[in-house]
Parts: sequence; C-alpha cells; structure tokens
Amino acid sequence: MATDLLNIFPQLVVLVTAVVVLCLEMAGRPRAGLWFLVIGMAATTGIAVDMLGTETTAFSTTFRVDTLSLWAAAILSPATILFAVLARAELKGQAREGTVYSLMVFATLGAMILAGSGDVMFLVLGILIGTLAGMAMAAHSRDDFSSEGAMKYFIYGSVAGAIMLFGLTYWVGLTGTTLISALVNPYLSPVIVMFGFIALLAGIGYAASLFPFHFWTPDTFEGAPVSVAAYLSVVPKIGALFALAQVVKELPVSVVDWPLILSVVAVLSMTFGNVVALWQDNVIRLLAYSTIAQSGYFLLGVIGMGQSGLAIDSLVVFGVAYAVMNTGAFAITLAEGTRLNDFKGVGRRRPWQAVGMTIFLLSLVGMPPLAGFAGKFLLFGSAIESGYTWLAVIAILNSAISLAVYMRIVVPMFFQEAEEEQTKLYTPGTSFVWISTFVLTIAVGLGAQWFLT
Amino acid sequence: MDFSSIPLLTITTFLPIAGALVVMALRPKKTETAYAIGIITTALTLLFTILIWVRGFGPSLSQIEEFSWIPSIGIAYRLGIDGISFPLVLLTALLFLTALIFSTKIKKNANTFIQLVLMLETACLGVFLSLDLFLFYVFFEITLVGMYFVIAKWGHEHRKKAALTFFIYTLVGSLFLLLAFLALYLFSDPNTFDIRELIANPTLTGLAATLTFWGLFIAFAIKTPLFPFHTWLPLAHTEAPAAGSAILAGVLLKLGTYGFIRFPLQMTPDAFREFAPYVIIIAVFTALYGAFVALAQTDIKRMVAYTSVNHMGYLVFGVAIAAVTSTASGMIALDGAVLQMISHGVVTGVLFLLVGALQDRTQTRDMAEMNGLLKAYPILGWLFIVAAFASLGLPGLAHFPAEFQIFLGGFDVYPVAVGIIIIGLPLTTALYLRAIQKVFLGTLPEGFSGVSDLNKRELWAIIPLILATVLIGIYPDSLLSIIHATTNFFGL
Repeated sequence: MATDLLNIFPQLVVLVTAVVVLCLEMAGRPRAGLWFLVIGMAATTGIAVDMLGTETTAFSTTFRVDTLSLWAAAILSPATILFAVLARAELKGQAREGTVYSLMVFATLGAMILAGSGDVMFLVLGILIGTLAGMAMAAHSRDDFSSEGAMKYFIYGSVAGAIMLFGLTYWVGLTGTTLISALVNPYLSPVIVMFGFIALLAGIGYAASLFPFHFWTPDTFEGAPVSVAAYLSVVPKIGALFALAQVVKELPVSVVDWPLILSVVAVLSMTFGNVVALWQDNVIRLLAYSTIAQSGYFLLGVIGMGQSGLAIDSLVVFGVAYAVMNTGAFAITLAEGTRLNDFKGVGRRRPWQAVGMTIFLLSLVGMPPLAGFAGKFLLFGSAIESGYTWLAVIAILNSAISLAVYMRIVVPMFFQEAEEEQTKLYTPGTSFVWISTFVLTIAVGLGAQWFLT
Repeated sequence: MDFSSIPLLTITTFLPIAGALVVMALRPKKTETAYAIGIITTALTLLFTILIWVRGFGPSLSQIEEFSWIPSIGIAYRLGIDGISFPLVLLTALLFLTALIFSTKIKKNANTFIQLVLMLETACLGVFLSLDLFLFYVFFEITLVGMYFVIAKWGHEHRKKAALTFFIYTLVGSLFLLLAFLALYLFSDPNTFDIRELIANPTLTGLAATLTFWGLFIAFAIKTPLFPFHTWLPLAHTEAPAAGSAILAGVLLKLGTYGFIRFPLQMTPDAFREFAPYVIIIAVFTALYGAFVALAQTDIKRMVAYTSVNHMGYLVFGVAIAAVTSTASGMIALDGAVLQMISHGVVTGVLFLLVGALQDRTQTRDMAEMNGLLKAYPILGWLFIVAAFASLGLPGLAHFPAEFQIFLGGFDVYPVAVGIIIIGLPLTTALYLRAIQKVFLGTLPEGFSGVSDLNKRELWAIIPLILATVLIGIYPDSLLSIIHATTNFFGL
C-alpha cells in the first residue's frame, strides 16, 4: 500500500493542490490559490521528472507508472501553470476566478489518471473528471455563447462517456476482469473486442477531439474564455491520447485491426480539421479546427505502439511540442484578439509578438528546427516503421494544407495594415506565457534528445 | 590552435546568421550601417570559404566536423565537404555577397531584409555542408521560410500570391523528402542519419528502394524544378525582388540538383539506374519545354526564369546519364552537370540582377515597350549581351564547357536523346537574340529621358559575376579539377 501511494505520488500532489486551491477560493483568496497552484504543479513536475525511468504499476496493476504516465505528469503540470497564468490575465477580479484554477487542476488530475490507465475503470474515471471540470470552466463567462458551448461539451461528454461505458462492459464481461492487460489473449471473440474498442474510441475521441467525435470543439472553444479554450485544447487531449496508447499496447492486432481503424480516424481528423480551418475567420475557431487536425497526427504515434521503437518517443516529444506551441499561439491570441482582422499590422506594432506567433504557427506546421518538427519527424518515423507509409504520405500532404491555414494568420500580421490603431494589453502574465513557450518551442526542437528514452 | 583544427565549416555556415544577430542587436537607424554589416558579413563568409579551399580537401568527404545531437536515434551535427559541395559553397558565398550589394537600394524595412537574406545564406550553406539527413532537412526547410518572406515583403505586384505558391508547393516537395529520409534511416543497418554511412552502404533494395527513389525524385524535381513540377518557378522568379530572384535561381534551385547527386545517385544507385530512362525523358522534355515557353514570353524576367527550366533540364540529364553508366562518359556527364550548377548560378544570377537594373530604369518588364536601350545604357546593354551569350552557350563563356560535357557524356549512351535535347540550344539562341534585338537594338523612342547607366553599386555587384562567367568559360579546369577528383572517387 505504501509503495502504491509512493508510485502515484505525483497524482496525489495534484489532488491535494486541487483541494487546497478550492479551499482558498472559498476563503476568497484566488490570488493565493494561484500561487498554491504554481507551487503544487511545479512540485508535481519535479517529482514526475525525478521518477522518469520507473516502470511499475500501482494498486494491483490497475494504474501504470511508466514512460507515458510520468511524461503526462511532467508535461501537463507545467502546462497547467501556464494556463492558470493566462486565466489570471483574462479573468482577474471576476467572480469565481479561483474556481477556474481549481477546476484546471482537477481536470489535469483526470488527464493524468487517463494517461496511466491500466484498468477500464480508470479510463472512465479520467474521462468523467475531465468532462465535468471542463464543462464548468467552459461555462465560466455565463453568457449565451459560453452556456451553449459548455452545454455541448457536457452533452457530448455524457453521451460519449455512456457509449464508452456500455462498450467497456462487454470487455469486462468477456475477460472477467476490468484490467486492460487481460485483452492480450489472442483467442478473444473479435466481434466483441472490436465493439468495445469502437465504444472506447468514442470516449477517447471526444476528449481528444478526433473526427467524428469533435463537433463540440469549435463552439465550446469560441464560447469559453480563451485561457480555458487553450486548456481544453491541450490537457484533456494529451491525457486521452496517452490512454489510447496504453490500451492498444495490450490489444492484439490479430484480434482487432486497431491500427487500420485508427489510421482511418487519423486521416479523417487531419483532413477535416485542416480543410475546414481554411475558411474560419475567427482565430479561436481556426485553432479549434487545427487541434482536431493535430489529434490526427498524434494517432500516427499511437499506431506505432508495439510495432515501432519510435512510438512512445514520438508521443512524448509531440506531446511536449504540442503543449508548448499551442499554448503560445493561444496566449498571443488572448492578447491580440480573436478575429483575423485583429492581427492586421501586428508585425509593425509589436514585431516580437508577431515573430513569436509566426514561430508557433510554423511549429504547428512542422517546420524545422522547431518543436513541432521534432515531434512530427518521430511520428512519421513511427508510422513508416509500422508499415503505414500511406498514412505518413497523407499526413504530409495535410501538413502542406495546414501551412495554408496558418499563413492566414501570418499574412495579416506582416503584410496588411491595421484599419484602426489599437493598443493591446500584454499583462505580465501573458508576456510570461508567450515568451516562455517561445523559448521552449525553439529549445524543444533543438534539444529533442532530452525527451527520448 | 593550428589551422587544421579550426572548425572552418561551422564558422562559414553560421557567420551570416551571426551578422543577422548583430543587425538585430544594434538595430541601426541608418540603412547604410545595416548594409555595411551585412556586406562585411557576407564578404567574411566568402573569405572563410576560400580558407576552406586553401586548407584543402580530398576527393572524399573531408574536413569533417561532428558533434553529438540526438544520439538516441543516431542524429548528429555533421558537416563536411567534397568536390561536389565545395563549388556550390563558393557560389553561394559569392552570390549572396553580390546580391546584397545590389540590394542596397532597398530602403523599406532594410534591417529585416538583411537579416532574412543572411539567415537564408546560413541555411543554403548548411544544406551543402550537412552530412546528416536530419540536419540537411532542417536547413533545407529554413530556406523556404526565408525566401517566402523575401518574396512576400519586397517583391513586385503579385508578390503575396507568388510567395504563398512557392511556399506551399516547395513544402510539399520537402515533405516527400522527409519521408524518403525516414525510409533511408529505417532501412539502414545500424539505423543512422549519417550521409557518409548511407553512401558507403546503400542498403535499400526492392520496393523500398523504388519508393524511396521516387520520393527523393519528386522532392528534388519540385525544387529543381522539372516538368511538370515547375509551375511555381516563373511566378516566384518574376515577382521576387532582383536580388531575391538571383538567389532563388542561383542558389535555391541548386539545392534540388545537388540533392539529385547526393541522394538518389549515391544512396539508391540501383533504383536510379533502373528508372534513369524515365528521368531522361522528363529531363529532355523539361529542357525543350523550358526553351519553347521562354521563347513565347514577352516579360523579360519571365523569359530568363524559363531559361532556368531549360538549363535544369540539361543538368538533370547529365546526372541521369551518370546513373546509367559507370564508364568514363558517365563521369564526363556528371562533371558537366556539377559545373552546370555553378555556371547557371553565376550566369542566371547576373541576368536577374541586370533585368532588375533594367526594370528600375524603365519601370516595365515588357519587351514590347523597350527599344534601342543600348544607346541609353551602353554598359548595362553590353553586360546583358555578354550574360545572354553565356546563357545560350557561347564557347568561351561559362555554360559552354558544362553543356558540352553533358552532351558529350550523354552521346555515348543515349545519342538519340542528345540529338533531341540539343534542339534547346538554337531555341535559346533565338530567344536571347530576339530579346537583345527588341530591348537594346533599334531606335530609342522620341523624347526618351532615361536615368543614368549602371551606377557604382550595381557595377560592384555585377562585374564579379561577369568575371566569374568569363573565367569559368576560358579556364573551366579551375573548378573541373576539384569536381572531377570527387566524381572519379565515386567510381560509378
């Protein structure tokens, strides 16, 4: 028991942080809550990094402490700090400010539980925590847009979660246990395993906004505060996709051809996300569709699980890269405005911010030597090594389309003049977030070695 | 520290970007200061390139500089040079220096322009010097970003469209390159991104080799460009500022042709040999297509752009000949192809600068609107005539020895193909003579009041390139001896 608790120490620290931050909000001290969040999540990061390399399980193999779950903790905890700082810049002084911090930590806990799932109950638990906390955050502004967005998030979450739960009961019935590792048996009935897998994909696909479970994404992002949209685009997604990797690791390809199913989902997500993003005029909606596409790229790494030595590395590096570059893009959007027109002439007025945004967007395309490139490089390698060269080709063509998408933000920044002179407020928090992610986007690209096993 | 242990290649590669950082840090108010920094940096880069030559390098890849980078998957920072890459490095250093001198008239956002050009130079040098697939790809992609902004910000009327077309089109190409590189890595044993290893043991066979070859082919065919992947070129070349066009044609196209030699020829030689007939058909068609379309142009800059397509056709033809045969004729053709890269870089570079100078004076690129300009601008006119003669392959000027060798080598293997491709020569002769006749001969329009002839700035940029054209023409062995040592070493 004691060793079990030690093994889930990062998750325990997150739980305690969430509760304390909530208490501080109740005491009317949101600022103290933010500070506690920073300390708690920094501690979690430190512990998780220190534990890297551990390969064990906790609570009778129901929770896995491995590369994926530890990296999830090491990526999502510092990311949560950045999102909380952004939320402070956006929501400072508003009512219920501190609840957002607390909910962020709770949702991070959900994502971290997902990433270490060794048992279907943890999958369900992780998705549920994420859905409830995310819904509450998305509804923060309490206007029509945010209520609509939060409602969509909640209903999609409930339905997808119910489908997932229903499908997973078949797995439990088939194997007689809730452990995912019981699926290794190649003599299981393919139809039932397939049914369970599709149902699971509904739940995971919802949290990771994969096509065709993505419909909530643009509306929820648009209605939610920008910092919350940024949060929802990164944390639940990485948790869910790492969870998917934990599941397929155990799933025999001979029973259900999951790489093929996932590759179809990947193609649809990438293509749909990028193509629809081409005609968005709202930057948040554009980034929402771009996150759908980026989820598709993640699947290239998931497909490599058990077939390519690069799979786990690619998921980790792309996870880090995605968290960093996407957060940066949202941070600049928070300060500059959410319409494409708001970006006109930024290159002249604030050249550094314009360069920063360009770097984030080019990194999302996968331009070397930036973080996104290091991630995609490994993802493509993983897909090719697993025999999915055709998928890598489609992913590559999608990268070219995504360039056209992201240039829609770059072009007004440098080549169009602003209609009216606007002064944008970069609070110290926003500046901290975009500058640190800017440095990291370059550093992760050049120093990918740090994240490899 | 003794001479042989100085990391000359690294210094040469990163010197330009260091200059860009200086500009960024000082943010000079006067554009003259900024250009001075830029020109001094590029001049120093050229000096270091010459030092590399002085230090000497063997026929094989030498002067290796290697540092660990991502050891888990066999990626390292590896630089090195041989007789194929050195002439290209020299060309890059020379062209960037002259292009920057020529650009000093650009006053709009001069600091940013200089920084972008310097970044572009580092990227180009890096491509030619990289001995690691990953590093190569990093530099290869950075050139796209740099060139995109140069065209989109400082280009002519349709610059944004041209820049975006260029960016997306060539990105598709380089992404195929990425796939091919991953295939080369995954099929090598032990897995490595080291170009030397991959050349020494080409392990790819069968379908994997075929797919990798075509991946590489598409990537470099878009960059070079070959028909039918050339459609981005006329637009980008025409809309870019003069110095940008010179760099684009002079150096960036060579990233594709250099790639053809370094990757398909050396890493998937069997597949290249197998598919060489198709490549030859494409190359012949490209050469003729480029010449015919150039003949139909009324825009002088567009015409020069299409002659690049023609010259690239000859070049890839030479490489394909070397892929087919391991006899002496293959080597002759390859020598010619490498020399063609340098000749084309110098000649087309200077042609674009001259056309830029012409456009500055006449405010048009339409040949129908220009007449008798030789009287108004004698220096410009005569230099254009020299460069045009070089481009059409007049003996004694840069293109002749290169194209002669390509055709000579090819004649042994594919005489019919040579017979067809050689039709390109009278065509280019015709189109250049027609252009000279229209623009420079004839009578000046009544009441012509032009500005003065080439000024000092333009002469400083153009004269070195004209001298290089003549030097390569009358003494090609200065470069051929270096090139030949390496192609001989290939032992194809």
